Amino acid sequence: MAFEWFMIVMGWLSLGAFLAVATYKITRVTAQPLNVRWEVYPVPHESKARREYGGSYMEEVDWAAKATHPSRLPGLLEIAKEVVYLKRVREFNQYGLWGISLAMHWGLYLGLATIGLAVIETLLGVTFGLTPLVAGVAFTLGAVGSLAIIAKRLTNAELGLYTVPADLFNLGWVAALFILGIIGGLMDTTFAGYRAYVASVLTFKPVPVPPIVLIHFLVLELFFIYMPFTKIIHYIGKYFTFEQTLWDDAFKTKGSAADNKVLQQLGYPVTWNAPHIVPGKTWLEQAQATGLEEGAQK
Amino acid sequence: MTKRLTQFKEMASLSNEPIAQITADDLPPIPGIAQPAIPAPRPRWLDTYDFSLDGFSDFEIPAPKTDEEKKRIVEGFFRGLEKLFDPENNWTFVKAFRLSMDYCVRCQTCSEACHTYVGSGHQEIYRPTFRSEILRRIYQRYYTTSGKLLPAFYGADIEVNFKTVWRLLELSYRCNLCRRCVMMCPVGVDNALIAREIRKLFSQELGIAPVELLKKGTRQQLQVGSSTGMRPNAMKSLVSDMEDQIEEKIGRRIEIPVDKKGADILLIHNAGEFLSWPENPAAFAILFDAAGINWTLSSEMLGYDGVNYGVWFDDVELARVALRHLQIARDLGVKKVVVGECGHAHKAMMVIADRVFPGDLCISEMPRESCLPLLYQIAASGRVKFDPSRNNFPITLHDSCNVVRLMGIVKPQREIIKMICAQPLREMTPHGVWNYCCGGGSGFAIMNSLNFGDWRKNVSSRMKVQQIMAVFADVLDPSINKYVIAACSNCKGTIRDAQGHYGLWDQYHIHYGGLVDLMVNAMADLPKPYLEWPEA
Ligand code: SF4
Ligand code: SF4
Repeated sequence: MAFEWFMIVMGWLSLGAFLAVATYKITRVTAQPLNVRWEVYPVPHESKARREYGGSYMEEVDWAAKATHPSRLPGLLEIAKEVVYLKRVREFNQYGLWGISLAMHWGLYLGLATIGLAVIETLLGVTFGLTPLVAGVAFTLGAVGSLAIIAKRLTNAELGLYTVPADLFNLGWVAALFILGIIGGLMDTTFAGYRAYVASVLTFKPVPVPPIVLIHFLVLELFFIYMPFTKIIHYIGKYFTFEQTLWDDAFKTKGSAADNKVLQQLGYPVTWNAPHIVPGKTWLEQAQATGLEEGAQK
Repeated sequence: MTKRLTQFKEMASLSNEPIAQITADDLPPIPGIAQPAIPAPRPRWLDTYDFSLDGFSDFEIPAPKTDEEKKRIVEGFFRGLEKLFDPENNWTFVKAFRLSMDYCVRCQTCSEACHTYVGSGHQEIYRPTFRSEILRRIYQRYYTTSGKLLPAFYGADIEVNFKTVWRLLELSYRCNLCRRCVMMCPVGVDNALIAREIRKLFSQELGIAPVELLKKGTRQQLQVGSSTGMRPNAMKSLVSDMEDQIEEKIGRRIEIPVDKKGADILLIHNAGEFLSWPENPAAFAILFDAAGINWTLSSEMLGYDGVNYGVWFDDVELARVALRHLQIARDLGVKKVVVGECGHAHKAMMVIADRVFPGDLCISEMPRESCLPLLYQIAASGRVKFDPSRNNFPITLHDSCNVVRLMGIVKPQREIIKMICAQPLREMTPHGVWNYCCGGGSGFAIMNSLNFGDWRKNVSSRMKVQQIMAVFADVLDPSINKYVIAACSNCKGTIRDAQGHYGLWDQYHIHYGGLVDLMVNAMADLPKPYLEWPEA
């Protein structure tokens, strides 16, 4: 029973570790200073007509006097398209990565759905009978997708240049997850063992579970702990790159929160060292100086 | 010739041999154009300057000879790299920079977006991700535990020596910062920003930047008033010359308002226009006069030169120049600033400087606008009568990246064209926010030291020339004059150089010019055409 107990702890530990590291990563980004505006059009929260050709409110005369209160929803929908069908990879599929990458991503999504299903079944005390199907599709897509990406990265010299052993290791780990899932599914076709393990974690009651199922979960749980430390967690970065940088077109008004934040940031010291930078000044003082006479004395 | 896949480790090669060779044979052909030869760097340069990236350079800075000098640059590079990640020293961009450094999944979806990479015949070193990946690997090797412990596993095994650092500097000036690649990235990674951060590191920490951008650029602008070297008195006398020229052309004298307190609009041009294309600021004057606009120019230092080269390489210089522009507008008591036909000045004043200054210099207090919506308003108002038949020749429109992709001003210029031209606009493929950069973006238009101009004309401008040729393919006959509208000074300068290099006027009568020039050419009550074509 000791190993079963260990696996119950691992179930919670992996979830806790994942949430802790992911939260840390999010906080680290949100704690960064307010970036200067640096948007790229099309910006999804523009009106539909403008969005189609990439227009902005700056196409109008006197735009600063007109209030703009864009909704965040169109941006979130645009990001969702990236998550659901990898929109940009599909459109600009330079290396034929779209189909296989989509397969791997959907393998992951459906893999999570399989766990979700088992959780719901445990909580409701019912069995929908869907698990073998969802898991079967998830593991097959995931295994095919991840193995195909590995093959692509190993055989295409240009992609190979940008592939480091750590990438192959990560992809290999993902592939292993799915392959173990397939083997487990073949040995436990009703997924009763799979559900039993999920139930044991939720109820803290160790029960016997087929070893292959436990190995599958162990590899998955270790992956959950490891993943947030890698760029596999790019799905979190995506919200910030798009919503808070590339589509952040909000202009500043006097006395607003952004205005106060900028004022505070202008008080940061500048320790850059080039001759045209005046030593010992804040950002605002740097802007007010020219660095001409001052720099010459350096 | 088969393309060679440059490896990252070659960045550290101690040899002076370029790690990538650009030959005319590798470049994609432009139908209708015989590729001119690409001259080799002059032999006397080779002993003094560093050409070890790709055989081109704008850095007329003697390559360091002693180990001490080399060490100083490498150490400065590392100090600067640390500061890029520091929220105080780099508050302006650290958030976006970190995100782009952390989340690239190396899928290369962005590659084909790049006109330089494609235009070079897919030279690996110009791929949008190449330089970013080097910086990432260097950072990982020297600043992360994982990279220090397992460098080979993480690919963090690029050695950093003087050559690596210098090649990376050069490489940061092989990207136009056009940010077309950003649009294609599924993660929102910004390789252009990384290129700019590398430039910034060298400028702000070591004072190393192309002479045209720093010494003769922002430094000169802050010192004498303009990066062209033009001082306030020279500006005033150019304005009075312009009044004479206008009188000669339109048969009546217009007084161009300068330093008029309380005007509605302060119009700021790129000062290069006064010198290279005075017909453009003159056209603004004619049109504004006809439309009854209450406007003024400024003769204050910097007030007559809207350029802000800091946008391309240095945040401190960016802030200094932007601050002075806005203070001049405030002191004049104008209602708003309108930026003339200069793309990067648009972006500097309206987008970037928006979050560089607080309070009274906020956009809500001192509005800044593009000239394009205003020109459209004039055209649509009926206050000025236009006769489109005066512009009866094939036209195309080159979109300035700064104005379209980076500000979303796409439609007004197209609406104007419909009202003032007899023939329908020939849109390039691609165009609008998807346009290709002219090849002169981010300072390249004015960078002509050593053989950098050869690189620009042959590599970064190539796709634009290909587009221009394609859009006029059915009217190439030189008996038909054709016009490329470029409402941006730097784009105009780049197209002018490409025009000369590829013989676009001599062979095909393809010319270029501003949008407002074309508007004035269509003004129904002018006695003669405003536009002047080059001598046949
Ligand atoms: S920048 Fe974006 S598109 Fe390019 S390789 Fe990285 S993740 Fe892929
Ligand atoms: S910003 Fe433009 S020039 Fe630079 S890498 Fe991207 S597409 Fe190429």
